[in-house]
Amino acid sequence: MRGFVRYAWRALAARRARTLLTVVGVALGVGVVVAALGVDAGLDASIDRTVASMVGRADLRVAAFEETGLSAGTLAQLAGVPGIAVEAPALERKSYLVSQPGRPVQTAPVTVLGVEPAVEPRVHDLPLARGAPLSGDADQTALITQTLARTDGLDVGSRLSILGMGAPVSVTVTGILAGDGPELGSAGRTVVLPIRTAMLLNVADGAPAPTQVDGVTRVDIVRASGAPVDQVAAAIGAALTLQPYVLSQPRDIAASLRASTLDVRSTMALLAAITLFAAAIMILNTMAMTVVERIRELGLLRAAGASRGQVTRVVFTQALLLGVGGSALGVAVGVVLAFAAAAWLRAGGQLAIDGPVITVWAVAAGVAAGMGVTLVAAIEPARRAAGISPVAVLRVRADLGQLVRSHTRWLVAVVAAIGVIAVLLLPGGATDLSVPLRAIAVYVLLLVAVLLTPTVLAPLARLVGLPFAALLRLEERLARASIRRDPSRTALTVGALVIGLAMVVALSAVAGSARASATAWLADVVPGDEVLTAIAPVPVGEGGVDQQVSAIDGVQLATPLASFDLAYAGTRLDAVAIRGADFLADGRLDFTAGDRTAALRAVDAGGAVILPEARAALLHVGLGDTMAVATSRGLVDLKVVGLVARSFPGRTGDAVLVGWGDALNRFGVLGADAIAVRYAPGRQADARPQVEALARQLALAASPISVVAGAVGDALDRLFGLLDLLALAAVVIAALGIVNTLSMNTLERVREIGTLRAAGMSRRQVWRSVLVEAGILGAIGGLVGSVAGVLVGLLLGGGAGAAGPVDAVPWSAVGLAMVLGVALAMLAAAQPARIASRVPIVTAVRGE
Amino acid sequence: MTLQPPAAAPAPGRTVLPILEARSLTRQYRMTGEIVEAVRGVTLSVMPGEFVALMGPSGSGKSTLLQLLGGLDQPTSGEVLLEGESIGRLSDSDATRLRRERTGFVFQSFNLVPLMNVVENVGLPFTIAGQDPRSADLSARIREAIALVELTGKERHKPDQLSAGEQQRVAVARAIVTRPALLFADEPTGNLDFRTGTGILDALWRTCVERGQTIVLVTHDAKAAAYADRVLVVGDGEVQDEIVLGRREDHAAAPLISRLALLGL
Ligand SMILES: Nc1ncnc2c1ncn2[C@@H]1O[C@H](COP(=O)(O)OP(=O)(O)O)[C@@H](O)[C@H]1O
Ligand SMILES: [Mg+2]
Repeated sequence: MRGFVRYAWRALAARRARTLLTVVGVALGVGVVVAALGVDAGLDASIDRTVASMVGRADLRVAAFEETGLSAGTLAQLAGVPGIAVEAPALERKSYLVSQPGRPVQTAPVTVLGVEPAVEPRVHDLPLARGAPLSGDADQTALITQTLARTDGLDVGSRLSILGMGAPVSVTVTGILAGDGPELGSAGRTVVLPIRTAMLLNVADGAPAPTQVDGVTRVDIVRASGAPVDQVAAAIGAALTLQPYVLSQPRDIAASLRASTLDVRSTMALLAAITLFAAAIMILNTMAMTVVERIRELGLLRAAGASRGQVTRVVFTQALLLGVGGSALGVAVGVVLAFAAAAWLRAGGQLAIDGPVITVWAVAAGVAAGMGVTLVAAIEPARRAAGISPVAVLRVRADLGQLVRSHTRWLVAVVAAIGVIAVLLLPGGATDLSVPLRAIAVYVLLLVAVLLTPTVLAPLARLVGLPFAALLRLEERLARASIRRDPSRTALTVGALVIGLAMVVALSAVAGSARASATAWLADVVPGDEVLTAIAPVPVGEGGVDQQVSAIDGVQLATPLASFDLAYAGTRLDAVAIRGADFLADGRLDFTAGDRTAALRAVDAGGAVILPEARAALLHVGLGDTMAVATSRGLVDLKVVGLVARSFPGRTGDAVLVGWGDALNRFGVLGADAIAVRYAPGRQADARPQVEALARQLALAASPISVVAGAVGDALDRLFGLLDLLALAAVVIAALGIVNTLSMNTLERVREIGTLRAAGMSRRQVWRSVLVEAGILGAIGGLVGSVAGVLVGLLLGGGAGAAGPVDAVPWSAVGLAMVLGVALAMLAAAQPARIASRVPIVTAVRGE
Repeated sequence: MTLQPPAAAPAPGRTVLPILEARSLTRQYRMTGEIVEAVRGVTLSVMPGEFVALMGPSGSGKSTLLQLLGGLDQPTSGEVLLEGESIGRLSDSDATRLRRERTGFVFQSFNLVPLMNVVENVGLPFTIAGQDPRSADLSARIREAIALVELTGKERHKPDQLSAGEQQRVAVARAIVTRPALLFADEPTGNLDFRTGTGILDALWRTCVERGQTIVLVTHDAKAAAYADRVLVVGDGEVQDEIVLGRREDHAAAPLISRLALLGL
């Protein structure tokens, strides 16, 4: 065995550059795996931390379904449920601090959390950095976070004025909470008040102050010792009859948070597996070349009495050394990549991630993947090496068809291995079978693309050679001749590139459709040029914000919108309250069934609903059907008066549309979340400053539609940017493969090059012919990769749920893939081309 | 019947200058401290239209000498004159032009471009020089070269549809198609059996006789060297002897072998 190691080592050392490139290829594959696992574990850890800080010691959480919150009646029913030790109610809302002279002006909202000072500490820890905790139930005191204290220049003893529905509520800071405080998603800007003080924020001017605790957003429950959670949950289910509510357990919350990251995580895992696939193909190709190169030497070993097994072991030992080197380097690459990816995601603010978590398991999986892929890749070359007959001292070119066939078998083995690895990599929350199925479909598709490449190689080379031929006829002919010298080698070289570029194209197609579906509705659905958004519901109708805005000269229309939830047939539906007359006047919404005028009038009249087509199909309801919706006042019937192609996007799909009357009177909506503003033609320039001034005064955020679309798009771009980066790893691996292949082609053609040089070919011509060869390889990779990428995009996009149809052909991405393929390949060719052009003729033609 | 080398016959009143001259050529290789002298002070000249063979055992320095004469390699000392002009210190682009216009090479391995048919392979030097081999003038020259190596009728064949001997004849046609001043051939029959090798030598002979092509042939085989007008016997990096055979249509090796025997070789 020692002898093999030494021999294998020497074989690797003899081709230092090739060995290095191969190790880097393996390392990139391993790196992407480790990074994907590290980010995945990081997301998981952040979710666990989030859940822990959200629920604290609670076993169950009862959350309000309606905006009006849980009523005093519901709280009374809950108090009667047996088996409960602690009930900690809380009221959460967004608000603004009134600016005070001498303090930095802040326009960012704060999250106000009202709690019962006596009960809350039994469920949640509220660690204080300094000062004292809340004491009285209705005191005018507050705790703020260290972050808020720092940014707003506050401290213990500062007085705060918090905006509410009526007059601002004034409190004094008694304590500073450590760090960002208890509320996630508030960027650390949290104010904690006694619950009765917080309730004052919901009291409109002139209305009487509440006498009982109500309007609570959630109640966290700790069960009595010995009471099983499921029993308590069942008892709560039986007791609460007044209002719709959501009962959840910590594990449900974690599961739903995990589900929200599933798409990203499974795409990352898929990319990692595909990068490994590209690496595997590159390694196979390199090992096969090494065997071809040493064919005589191996033949001599056999002639000297080495057994087939010993020759096989030489090749495997070589693979083992490459795998160990590549995996070790890959773990380092992966750690760096994981930190960079986590920082990138955190900066984007889309996914909550504190940092990557590099577990022993992630490192082990990366190393196992690297070793596994390298060893599997060595099977075929080892078989070929063992098949060399002892008398094969003269170079024999094996039957190419047979080589391709054996490659097929090998590829199937690799894909099977990678499939297993990929399934192991898939995030734990992937209970949905469509995720692994889709991943397998993507592999099969890419595999077919790689396997088909040799058959289409000659015509494709001719086709993509045309532009090169127009400029450099000789170089193009020589390049194509070189490409056809060993079709299976070319196919594998191009194969890795096809895989990388296909993923680039596919991701771009999916990103494009995600972007389009995330923003296209804005123009189709929103009756306005600008949207004013409120952090807490604002009053509508008589004297409401919508009327104040419409009163501004130059504003044609200001229509209020509110999003809320509806409980229908045991599921949660996203709903938006609209004013039908405004939509009628502005001509928004594309009706696919029902009369538009009649439908929008019916919505305003009440008892009617407009459904997005896709939602109607899912719910199995049609035009004219009646839907019974659960509310605090019992079941309410809504008649389906129209179907629309698209509506406002919600958390689980497009929202159903109901009238403002129903929303306010029957579904517990308190006010508008947003006002859509349409300017009179030509008046936008002069009316906008007035609208924006009013918005500032009312603590509303004004954003033109284009800015909303841009913000949505930017967030998506950030996410896809990361995925693109991972896909690029596969393209880089392919480029390393191209360096190896072109070097090998040059080595094998050295005699031909020498003869051509003796016939008067210049160095520059030789150099250009290698570059053209790379260009043709790159263009073939780009073409096949684009076709495969479009298909992969359809596969990935088809499962993305909310996303609309993927653009048939993302031309810009196809263009990018072509340019990227050709440019990277030619870049990869620079060194081999230099070497080829510098081969001294005398060396090249020296006798055998 | 005796054949006279056409160009070798001087025109009345004119002295004929050698087409190729080597003066005190030396080539050393440095091998891990040790210096190998592959060519040692060789002086020789070749007349226009002459067919000269460099003959000697393996390792005697024939190839090195040929490469120096053809300008593929630079001598350690001494100089080479091609048509009276020194080719010792040419820039890379001048050397490339020299190879395009004035020399042709045939090596032991044929190295045809696999994707190209016979016409395209033969026309390759024109393509390399940026000329259009399909132009009337050049395609006539290509046809003529193909006829000279007796491959007429196989113009459209690709290399893998030709026998080894035929492939080497294509390589010969490729080397002479530009009508170089000098054709260099290094063991052109080394990869071929005797009968096939004879076909190559016949083709070289025809170009010499029919077109007055000057040829320098390197070989270790007396039967091949017997085609030449003059044989230079190379040993240990030096030209040890010269055997003038004259132009003979039968190419019989017997006279050469007996002369070699006389020299104790
Ligand atoms: N590039 C080189 N480096 C070192 N020695 C060389 C090189 N080329 C040729 N030689 C040596 O020079 C001598 C002559 O070689 P060569 O000209 O190829 O002989 P021939 O063609 O007669 O067989 C041999 O001893 C050979 O080993
Ligand atoms: Mg030789």
